[in-house]
Amino acid sequence: MAWLLGDVTLHQRQFAPIAVIPNGPLSFKEGRMNSKQDGKFFHLSPAARSTLGRLLRYTVVRLITLFITVVIGVYLTILIANMGGYVDQIRRAQIREQVAMQLQNDPTFRTLPEEQRQQLLETRIRNEEKRLGLDKPFLVRSFNYLWDALTLNLGRAENMTSDSGSRQVRLIILERLPATLVLFGTAQVVLFALSLFIALHLSRNYGSWLDRLFVALSPLSSAPGWFYGLFLIIIFAAWLKWFPFGGMVSVPPPENPIEYALDVAYHMVLPLTALTLSSIFISVYSWRTFFLIFSSEDYVEMARAKGVSPRTLERRYILRPTLPTIITSFALGVIGVWMGAPIFETIFNWPGLGRVLYQAIQLFDTPVIVGSTVIFAYLLAITVFLLDIIYAIVDPRVDIGGGRRA
Amino acid sequence: MSNNGSSNSLVLKVEDLVLYFRTTKGVVQAVDHVDFELAKNRAVVIIGESGCGKSSLAKGILRLLPRNVHTYTGRVYLEGQEIMGLDEETFRMKIRWVKMSLVPQAAMNALNPVLRVSDQVAEALLIHYPNVSKREAIERVREMFRYVGVPDSFLHRYPFELSGGMRQRVAIAMAMITRPPLIILDEPTSALDVLTQANIMNVLKQIKWETGTSYILITHDVATSSELADDVAVMYAGQVVEMSDAASFFKEPLHPYAKMLMAAVPKLRGDDDLEFIPGQPPSLLNPPKGCRFADRCPYRMAQCEINPPMFRVGDRKVRCWLYEKDADGIYGTHPEPLEQAHV
Repeated sequence: MAWLLGDVTLHQRQFAPIAVIPNGPLSFKEGRMNSKQDGKFFHLSPAARSTLGRLLRYTVVRLITLFITVVIGVYLTILIANMGGYVDQIRRAQIREQVAMQLQNDPTFRTLPEEQRQQLLETRIRNEEKRLGLDKPFLVRSFNYLWDALTLNLGRAENMTSDSGSRQVRLIILERLPATLVLFGTAQVVLFALSLFIALHLSRNYGSWLDRLFVALSPLSSAPGWFYGLFLIIIFAAWLKWFPFGGMVSVPPPENPIEYALDVAYHMVLPLTALTLSSIFISVYSWRTFFLIFSSEDYVEMARAKGVSPRTLERRYILRPTLPTIITSFALGVIGVWMGAPIFETIFNWPGLGRVLYQAIQLFDTPVIVGSTVIFAYLLAITVFLLDIIYAIVDPRVDIGGGRRA
Repeated sequence: MSNNGSSNSLVLKVEDLVLYFRTTKGVVQAVDHVDFELAKNRAVVIIGESGCGKSSLAKGILRLLPRNVHTYTGRVYLEGQEIMGLDEETFRMKIRWVKMSLVPQAAMNALNPVLRVSDQVAEALLIHYPNVSKREAIERVREMFRYVGVPDSFLHRYPFELSGGMRQRVAIAMAMITRPPLIILDEPTSALDVLTQANIMNVLKQIKWETGTSYILITHDVATSSELADDVAVMYAGQVVEMSDAASFFKEPLHPYAKMLMAAVPKLRGDDDLEFIPGQPPSLLNPPKGCRFADRCPYRMAQCEINPPMFRVGDRKVRCWLYEKDADGIYGTHPEPLEQAHV
């Protein structure tokens, strides 16, 4: 940008500063005329348009990247679950043994001459291997598995059935997904809003007794949600009998959709409280600290000097620049909560994905375990994707690799 | 309104400004009974080493106070109006950026990283002049950008997309957008390279020349500041120790500290050896009772145990017992009788 250096005088001469600057801050006649002229060219300001374009590009790029991540993750799971193809050898041996046993038990087979018996055995084995797809090399099949997994063609469960009685792993999982999403989605939203509100309040009243209380209580967040769940169930379900022990709806469930929703909300009180208790103190503590750090930035002081009202100051100069940091911290928390889902849902008898995984592990139902892993990979990717998009909206510094903007 | 500040040619008059901060180690006396004044369309340079309280003085005038303020008293007259007594909301709406604005130290961090520069500059106008539309404000920002030498294409950029020099220009445009009579420049060029420094200084000179704005320029860079200065105020350990017009000051500083400070500035011609000032400035936590420079002063005498007042010497003022005989009188408020009572 060498041309910018020393061009002050040039600019000043060109635009005759005395004439350009009106006498007082309030004479804007020229400005008004100009703005009318270019007003008809666009509804969106150029700033808004570039934000939209940037976001769109960014979204597409992020989607592709995340999809590749999921593909790699699932493929690695397939490779590991198949021990890099070694499982094939085990299965071939199993098939050979099985087919041989079958033929041994067949009386007509025993009467055949040796050469023919051998031929028949090999043909049967080949057919069986072909039926199971073992005739193709492992590398080819690993990609078939990958395709099946990604398209949620997850096969049939060995022991478990879905709530509607299907053996399809996909149905077993997808029928449980809404319950998990309702519980954890609500928990995340409540947690985010509550933490943000309290953290802002504390940063405003830094050093107050409430502030010190939250700081002192932050070690409580070292225990997972289900730990608090146990106590909440003992106190509020067993002892006080205010809330149900677990489950998602009463038995029988209410017919009216509004009553149904209220019933679900009623069942969600304890799980939500448990999840909130386990996360809120640490997130309030760390977010309040973020706010305090960011509110000592020079631009906050500058805005104060400018006469920005205290509310706008908090919103535009403290909250906005801090949001990226907060979203990062929140994203890590969300991922942590996903990981605790199996135990948490089991404690509260919540008919969600976590409990399916827990049951599948108990029953050694491999297809369901693998299927759940795939679904969790998708859920994680979607979570990260959504947070990335929000991140890009709140922070213009996120590099979207789109080149120069006007 | 008091007679003290009503003189028309004065933009700013500070009387007995005290700003102490509370820290875990004790009370820091960052600004200790400072008096000074600034005439219309003049630039006063406040020089002094790091930690002498020059930025705190600016904060005190702008009322940009951190949480840990211990004492904040005094009188500040801005265009004849006493502003220390104003409540926070009146101060925000009527004084901030309308009467005085700030070009901050390290403009790198002075712009909100997540807002476009145009919006941030326009914001100042929109807050104080509600009948200005957004579009008019942006148009005015464009004019200001041209004036300080920021290309039009930078208007809708984010601060991180601008170089340091450009950001500083944006900060200057922001300070000027409401055309306040007083701009406080807190080390506006200290983070920039020499070429950019010179450019910024030219912009500032031009603005002063064309708009009649007054400046308070806070810096430790004596050489650069001499370009812009009409008056000089030297700060040492929370006190103003000398006030002069720039011409006489740069020719012959009065206060021993100022003398030694100037002797430590390299000159373009002449091969005099640079001098240095032995010792450290006193801690502002518990400054010495007498003259604060006494411990490092080559002219030290018995009287230095007592804090000297500001002596008037011609048009100049100096806080040193050496000038007691030549003095025409005493300037400003002198807290000494109070302290002597304690001793």
